[in-house]
Parts: sequence; structure tokens; C-alpha cells
Amino acid sequence: MNHPATFQDRWPQMKRVVLKILRQEPTSQVEWQNLFTDVYSVSTWYPASITEIFTELTNEITRHIKQAQERVLRHDEDSALLKAYIHEWSKFYEQCEYLPKPFVRIETNSNGNTSSSNPAHNSEKTTRSTDQVRQLMLESWNNNIFKDIKHRLQNSAMKLVQAERNGESFDSQLVIGVRDSYVSLKTDDKDKYKVYIENFERAYLNETTRFYKQKTGQYLTEHGILSYLHYADQKLKEEEKRARRYLESVPECNSVPLLIRRCVDVFVTEFREQITNECPNLIENNDIERLRLIFVLLDHTGDITSLTQALELFIVKQGLDNMLKNKDTIRQDPESYVQQLLDLYRQFSNLVRDAFLNDPRFLTSRDKAFQKIINDISVFQLDMPARATRGATRTTLAESRCPELLAQYCDILLRKGTSTHKKYSSEEIEVKIKDVLLLLKYVQNKDVFMRFYKGSLTRRLILDTSIDNELEESIVIQLRDVGMPAEFILKLQQMFKDLKLNRDMNEEFRTVCPSSRNNNTMMDSFSFKILSAAAWPHPGDKIDVSLPAQIEDVLPEIEEFYKKKHSGRKLTWYHTVSNGQLTFASKTGKYDLDVSTLQASILFAWNHRPINKLTFSELKLATNIPENELKKTLWSLISFAKLKQQLICYEPHVQTHQDLNDISLFWINYDFTIIRAGKIQTRGHINMIQRLQLNTEKGREEENEEIMFLRGERTKEAIVQIMKTRQRMNNAQLQTELIEILKNMFVPSKKLIKEMIEWLIDHRYMARSETNISEYVYVA
Amino acid sequence: MSTQSTNNNTNNPTSDVVTSSVPFTLKRWNLVGIWSWDVAHDVCAICRTALSESCLRCQAASNLQECIIVWGTCNHSFHNCCMSQWVKQRAQCPLCQTDWVINRIGQ
Repeated sequence: MNHPATFQDRWPQMKRVVLKILRQEPTSQVEWQNLFTDVYSVSTWYPASITEIFTELTNEITRHIKQAQERVLRHDEDSALLKAYIHEWSKFYEQCEYLPKPFVRIETNSNGNTSSSNPAHNSEKTTRSTDQVRQLMLESWNNNIFKDIKHRLQNSAMKLVQAERNGESFDSQLVIGVRDSYVSLKTDDKDKYKVYIENFERAYLNETTRFYKQKTGQYLTEHGILSYLHYADQKLKEEEKRARRYLESVPECNSVPLLIRRCVDVFVTEFREQITNECPNLIENNDIERLRLIFVLLDHTGDITSLTQALELFIVKQGLDNMLKNKDTIRQDPESYVQQLLDLYRQFSNLVRDAFLNDPRFLTSRDKAFQKIINDISVFQLDMPARATRGATRTTLAESRCPELLAQYCDILLRKGTSTHKKYSSEEIEVKIKDVLLLLKYVQNKDVFMRFYKGSLTRRLILDTSIDNELEESIVIQLRDVGMPAEFILKLQQMFKDLKLNRDMNEEFRTVCPSSRNNNTMMDSFSFKILSAAAWPHPGDKIDVSLPAQIEDVLPEIEEFYKKKHSGRKLTWYHTVSNGQLTFASKTGKYDLDVSTLQASILFAWNHRPINKLTFSELKLATNIPENELKKTLWSLISFAKLKQQLICYEPHVQTHQDLNDISLFWINYDFTIIRAGKIQTRGHINMIQRLQLNTEKGREEENEEIMFLRGERTKEAIVQIMKTRQRMNNAQLQTELIEILKNMFVPSKKLIKEMIEWLIDHRYMARSETNISEYVYVA
Repeated sequence: MSTQSTNNNTNNPTSDVVTSSVPFTLKRWNLVGIWSWDVAHDVCAICRTALSESCLRCQAASNLQECIIVWGTCNHSFHNCCMSQWVKQRAQCPLCQTDWVINRIGQ
């Protein structure tokens, strides 16, 4: 090289190559490499020429673009215009990759010059200007061609999209090409997608909403809301798919979600009311498909409360209607009541699963609805004493009877000899018990359930009528797992433990007290259960009753044996629940009768005067049973529902047990027989114990009072517990925490809470805050 | 048991003869009894829960083992768990302050 290459020398050569590249004409390797060399040598020798290079380069690029523009604008028809534009653009855009390469050298050079004076900006500038030529190309394109025709381009693209919506097919690449050219025009460094967002995206969104605003109303009036749901769902899906194709998908733009939101406004929000109005009907018809559509549609708007509310209202209405319809039978029939509840529960759980995909919001409204149904008191109620203090006035408070009925249902399932449990296999029974536990979750006053469950369990265990003791024990575990209070569970477990201890004790007793040692030949036929007062339900008032002599005789033997085994214990016989079997010899045969102690005591009165008619007074004297209990027990012998012929006859005839009086006469029916399938049976077995009475009438009232008293105590405990940790707390917070703590037993009423807070303040466990009347302070 | 004694009076002379001819004979019988601790006070003076229940510690631990009762020579009674903790500090009855000597332990 003789002399340094000047810009003037080299540019013609350089320009030729640059143009070749711009026009995508074949460029030889030598030409390509020379361009690098020329740029390098010119800029090295004459750094001042760098500006000249850029100016000329810009001129060339602009000229090239102008030519391209001319070629594009030759077309009038939209798709031809688009096609031409995209053709030019894609060519040009491709060259944006190559053309800058030879100039990289001077970009960094020009950059190096400025940066030496200001090193702090060095790195920033470097990254910015490596793209200098490319930037230059894009900007020129934007300024020269795009600006002038962008509206035409955009409109053409939108028209094409619209045409597609109307079912015409076209080359989707055209729209995508326009989109790409918008996206690639990153003229603003800070907001790279500004051009795209402000033009293409905005137009796309507006066109889409405009298009559908015209369509939806029309479709709705023509086809009705039901088919509109399908339409809206289908169109939403279509538009989402279309948007994914035609809108930019980089996360910075967020175009697709934006479009969906706009579409949802048009398709759903606009018609929310009409859609919501359909819900109750659809729920009633169990139209899972449409409900799912509604759910999906409304869920797009982020607000589905109208739907969840509709579901809740519907479940409650259906539940209460069911109950009202069967008002008269349901009261006495826990089975059909529970069965109905369960059916309802299944129905709506399935609905929530199928239509609403087990969305938690719907599960919540299902739960809320069931809570309302189960704790409803409009159909039937349980009267509880209104005050938590014992011996208070007899005002009562209504509570749902559901907990009682649930416990009764369990009893029907688990007790031998009921028609219900015979219907089911043991697996089915287990499933049904699990169902009950499911419903129990919604019961507010679980303490009532616990009392009734424990009562019926006691009956089953004492009478030995449980279908499966192992199952019983596993239910206790399940009760624990659904959150029943530990102390309750502990006591139930202790009951089972007690029974096992008694089994061992009975065996031991038989070996120590063989019947030979005793005159009582019945010894082997006796068994006993000695239960811990702490675990088993309180027996209530003790009823003295004259026992058959054979029983009376064996008592001291057992007492003596027990005393030897245990010390410090007090043993009280609980004759009202003792029970056994008698044999009755009538004229026609011998029959085994399962009887309670009270029944046995009455029947044995005739052993001394077998053919006498005994007056009520005489029986009272002979049995020692209190009058009211005697009437009830006699009634079970003279009008036993399951028997055609009664065991004991009486006169004069009366309607209810209360009408029996001192002059009523009773005698044995020696003609008594059991007739089965039309034949007289000479042997047979009858269970006369309908429902073992654990407690007296008065005792039950006391039990209710006890429950209310315990609620008071538990509430006090919980308040103190909360106040001790919080020290200071306002009324509302205290109530919330209190309910949280107590909800596994019962939901305390506002009145109860207030009463207990007053009590605690009076007894100086806590005080009202001096500054704020609704705030409490813990007093140690 | 006045009725029973009258029954016996009327029955005694013929009881052996009658047994075969009485309408009702006992076949099987299940007696039910309830036991509770034989105590003067219902509540354990140490943990303040009923003696018929487990002591506070056992309740808190959900202990299924029986929580037994102990009597001193003063005839005061406490949960055995509570008392065994108590005597570590004071070998006197919490109620009457006499020296604590175990009379019996419930079983």
C-alpha cells in the first residue's frame, strides 16, 4: 500500500458492496472481506472520516428504503400491499443482521474516542453503540417508509384478521409479518415495544372489541342465553388462539392476557346479570356442562361471587325444602333424615367437583350452605336451657336436633337387630359412618352429638348389642380425627378398656366362686360389668327396685370379690340398666324374654301369686319402683308394639301409660304364644327391652342443664386462656378467638359469652379497660 | 328391702315346690355397677380437678393409664401423681398439715 487510504478513494468501492448487500445481490467473499479492510484502514488513518462514512451510509440506506417504498406503494389492494411490504421488510430486516458487521470496528472506535474523556460512561456507551448501524437502519426504515404507510399497513392487517373472523382464509403470515416489523422497530431504548404497543396492539385490541360488540348482542337476542354461553366460550377460546398467533408473546408486552381481558369485558361482564340469572335453573337441572361454562367465563372476570352465592342459596333452599316436605316423618326417622342430608351432600359435592372443578370458593359455599341446613331450627328443634347457671328458670333456647339425629342414626347402624343394619354389609356400614362424620363437621353444637352418641354407645355396650366392637373402637379414633375434644375421646376409650377389664374379672370370678361353693345354681349365668364413674355417663337418680331373690343373693359375693381386688373404691349397683333373660312358661310353650331389671322385678311379682290379678298399688309395693317409672315399665309389658298378643293383660283399658292408676288390674296372659308364619311356636325369644333407659326424665333435663353449665365453664376457661396470653384485647377479637377455640365442642352464643365475661369481671379475673369500654384487660 | 322380706315370708315354706311351677324363671343376668373412689372430698386439693377424673398432668398428656388415688393416714385423698410431686417439697398433707403417711393406694 503506497499511501494511506482516504475516504474519497475507498467509498465508491465500499458503496458498491453496501448496495449489493442491501439489495441482497450475490456478494463475493473478497468483496465482503474488502469492505472490512476498507472500513478499518479508512477509520484508522483518518478518524475524522468516520462521520463521513456514517453520513454516506445513511444516505445509501435512505435511498434504498425510498425505492422499496415506491415498490410497496405501487399496490392498492390490501393484501397485495401487505405482501409487498412484508417482502421488502423481511429482506431489509435480514440485511440488518449483516450490514452492520463490517462497521463494528468503527462503532467501537468512535466510541473509544468519546469514552477516553468520560470513562464512567464507557461500558454503557459500548453496549449502546454496538448496534449503531443496525439502529440506524431500523430508524431510517421507520422514518422513511413505515411512518408514511403504517396506518395503511395496520388497517390492512386488521381487515385481514376481521376477514378471518368472518371465516375467510388468507395467509396469516401477512399479519404476522406486519406485527414483526412493528416489534422489531425498537427505536426507543427504554421502552422497546413502544411502537408495537401504541400502534399494532392498540389497533388489534380495539378492532377485536368493536367487532364483537356488534356480534354478541345480536347473537344473544337470536339464540338465547344458553347457547350464548357456548358461543362466548368458543369465541373466547378462538380469540385467545388467534391472539397467540398475531400478537407478540414476549412477557414484557403482556398482549395476550390484555386481549383476553378486553374480550371478557365484551363477552361476559356486559352480560353478567343475564348469565347469573340462569344459574339457579342450571343448578336445579344439574346442567354440569353449562355451569362449567359459566364458571370458566365468570372466572375470567375474577369475580364469581354471584355464582357461589347462587349455589349456596340453592343448596340451603333445597335442604330446607326437603326437610319441610318430610316434616312429619323425619322427626321420628333419623335414617331418612340423615339419608336425605347425605344425598344432598353427595349431589352438591359432585356438582362442585364436575362443574366447578372443586374450586375452593365453591367448596366454601357448599360448606356454608350445609352449616346452615344442619344447624337450622325451623323444622325441628331441641330445647336447651337458656342459661348456663344451674337450676335457673325454665326458659329454653332452641337448637338444631341434627346432632341428636346423627347420633341416633349411628345407633341404628351399629346396633344388632335393627332393620337398617341388616340391609347393609359391614363395609357399607363403615362407609355410612364415615358419611355421618362428614356431616358432623358442620354441626355447631358437637357437645350435643357427643352426649347422644355416648348415651347410645353405652346402651350398646351394656346390652352387648353392638354389631362389631372393633368397628366401634375404630369409630372413636375417627371421631378423634375429625376434631372431637380429646377428653371426650379419652373417656370413650376408657369405656372400651373398662369392658376388657370386666371380661377378665368375670373369668376370674368364676374360678374363685364356683357355683358348687354356693347354693345358687345360677352362678354361671351371672355376669357383671363394673364401670368407672369417671368414664361412663352419669346414671342419674338411683332407683331402688326389689330384685328377684336369686339376683339379690349373688350381689354380696361379687362385692366381696371386688373389694379384694380393688381398694379405695365405692361400688354402686346400677340396677336400672342391669338386664338379662327370663324364661316364661305359658300354657302353650316356653319363651325366653330379654328384660330390664324393672321389667324383671314386675314379672317376678307374679311368681308368688301366679294366677292373681294384681293392682297397680300391689305392684308398686312389691317392686318398690317409683310410680312414674312403674307406669312406663308396665306399659312396655301390656302394649308391646311388636307383639300381637301381650304378655300381661290389664283393665280398665287406657290410652297412655300416664292414665294407669291405682285400681288398674294386671294379670299374666297364660294363653300367650308366638305365631310365626301362621304357626304357633312353642319356643321363642323376644327382646322386651326396646330402648334401655339410662336415665330418668328428670335426669335428662339435668343433662341438658349440665351441657349448658359445661358450656359456661368451657367458655370461662377459654376466655381466661386467651386473656392470659393477650393481656389486653378488644371484644370483637376476643369473640373470634373464642369461637375458634370452642368450635369443636359448640359455638358459644353472644349472650353466653357476655354472661361469662360479666362473671369473670365480677370475680376479678379480668377488667374492662379504663380508656376503652370495648376492651378488656387480664387481671392476674 | 321390706318387700323382699314379705316375699320371703310368703314364699319360704313352699319355695322348693313352687320353683318348677312359677311362670318366670331367671335364665341369665348381667349386673351393672358403677365404681368411684371412696373419698371424703370430690376434688384433689393439689390439682383442683375431680378425683374421679385423671389429674391435670395425665389429662394434658392424654394418658390412658389409670390415674390412681392415694389416701393418707389423715384420710385425705389426692391423685397419686399430684401427691408424689407434692411430697418432694413438703412431706405434709396439703389439707391438714399433718405429716404425710400413706394409708392406702387405690387399685
